[in-house]
Amino acid sequence: MKRISLLLILSLLPLVVMAQEDNCLTCHRDFEDEDGGPSYLITRDVHIQKGLSCADCHGGDPSLEDMDEVRESRGWRGVPDHLEVPAFCARCHSDANYMHEQNPSLPTDQLVKYKTSIHGKRLFGKKDRKVANCISCHTVHQIANARTPYSSTHPLNLPQTCAHCHADADYMAEYGIPTDQYDGYRKSVHGEALFENNDLGAPVCNDCHGNHGALPPGMASISHVCGNCHAMQAQLFDKSPHSKAFEENDFPACETCHSNHLIEKPGDQMVGNKEPAVCVECHSEGDGTRGLDVAAAMSLAVEKLANAQAEARAALDEAIAKGMMTTDEEFRFKEVQQMLIATRTQIHSFSLDTILTMADAGYEKAKEVQTNSAALIDEYFFRRKGLGLATLFITLLVVALWAYIRKLES
Amino acid sequence: MTENKTSRRGFLGVFLGGGALATLGSILYPVARYITPPALSEAKLSQLKLDFARADIEGEPVKAKYFKYGRELGIIFITDAGEMKALTAICTHLDCTVQHRPDLGIIWCSCHNGRYDYNGQNISGPPPRPLTQFVINEIDGTIFISREDA
Repeated sequence: MKRISLLLILSLLPLVVMAQEDNCLTCHRDFEDEDGGPSYLITRDVHIQKGLSCADCHGGDPSLEDMDEVRESRGWRGVPDHLEVPAFCARCHSDANYMHEQNPSLPTDQLVKYKTSIHGKRLFGKKDRKVANCISCHTVHQIANARTPYSSTHPLNLPQTCAHCHADADYMAEYGIPTDQYDGYRKSVHGEALFENNDLGAPVCNDCHGNHGALPPGMASISHVCGNCHAMQAQLFDKSPHSKAFEENDFPACETCHSNHLIEKPGDQMVGNKEPAVCVECHSEGDGTRGLDVAAAMSLAVEKLANAQAEARAALDEAIAKGMMTTDEEFRFKEVQQMLIATRTQIHSFSLDTILTMADAGYEKAKEVQTNSAALIDEYFFRRKGLGLATLFITLLVVALWAYIRKLES
Repeated sequence: MTENKTSRRGFLGVFLGGGALATLGSILYPVARYITPPALSEAKLSQLKLDFARADIEGEPVKAKYFKYGRELGIIFITDAGEMKALTAICTHLDCTVQHRPDLGIIWCSCHNGRYDYNGQNISGPPPRPLTQFVINEIDGTIFISREDA
């Protein structure tokens, strides 16, 4: 009897499942494009993956088959207008209690921050339908968290997500802001690290501008923004005499020398008393400061160290290529590299004495590597000469043996 | 004629003996050089005995010292809790040397503000991977460092 009951229950199960079927997907998949239709895209959406359904956002009764009836059914919200999207998403995302049930680690302040952003201010204040709302950045039906590789907010995709509007000169025309940020970023040291080296630690747009509360960093906050990663440079600069001078002249801290989006890989040519050094953009002969003299001395010290490092590298590479045991020198060379990095970083203090001391110490270490590597190379040639000599001796011995045997035979 | 033969034989004998000696020398010299330990030695990778003690680490301003483990640079430091720990000292982001920051309670890379906890876990900034932990054995005041996988 028990077995019959179980069979009955199992045979009825498909009917129960059918009754709960999401008719939204069933109908929409009939007429939507498999490549881009929302009902197909949605399988990669975090909301569906977490068990939510179309009706959880759009409202309506998903068990109904007639669309007109669905529109009349409970809680129907349909497709929100551009201006209504933030509230549409915030219905859940600003509800701390609800979000705690779904994902306790997710913040619930996105709407609050969005209202402080340029996007939010224009959307709510000027009813601007062109500014970004939630779905402009997160997409509509393929929303995924920023760690998901196909997400529009994944670091590798985010620059293009912002560029979709910000690099479109026609679209941005009425706002009067530049549209070359993406081009600049792509060529920058950060863009290169991200796109060419796949370094996900490289900053993308939102690391400097914020995401939901996106704003251009203010004058005072630039060194804080850059200092998040370039902490040492920011600390040294803040204590340097330039910090006050920049502030008094309304020069943004890092940007004045390094630019903003097109931040090129800094080179030693940036420091010095003549072009292309950035120092000459403010300092000139007889300007009443020691600026150009200090710049020239810093440039010389760093150049001397960089050259010594390159020579040490060349000598070390030669010793490696010759198969000599270079473990200690490679190890010592790493110290030289570290000292070069530290000296270059110290430039942000503009303290000549400290820079000269550090550069000299690095130079001595580089010369040590070069001398030791040269000794290893000498050792290699000594071995080669030894091998040649041994070959000569062996050949002579063979010849002598041959002559001796002939003599014995005769 | 006999004299001539003798001197030619003598010459050949000397030539042969000298050649044999030189050959022997050219074989024995590399053997001797191979047996003599080289001036530059590579640390044994299975274990490293540090030439400083815990007190030396405590005596440093940031309670940390660097050591060379084979081809790697390591950092040994003393935590707030007085525990001695050792990690690889090369940042996993762009190979800078990390440092102990007792004021922040972290291992810090000054190049891009990369931060690691005392177990080597990357906790903030760009480093993509943790630092590797070394095993420390302190026997009668002498510190021995080894790798977990060694």
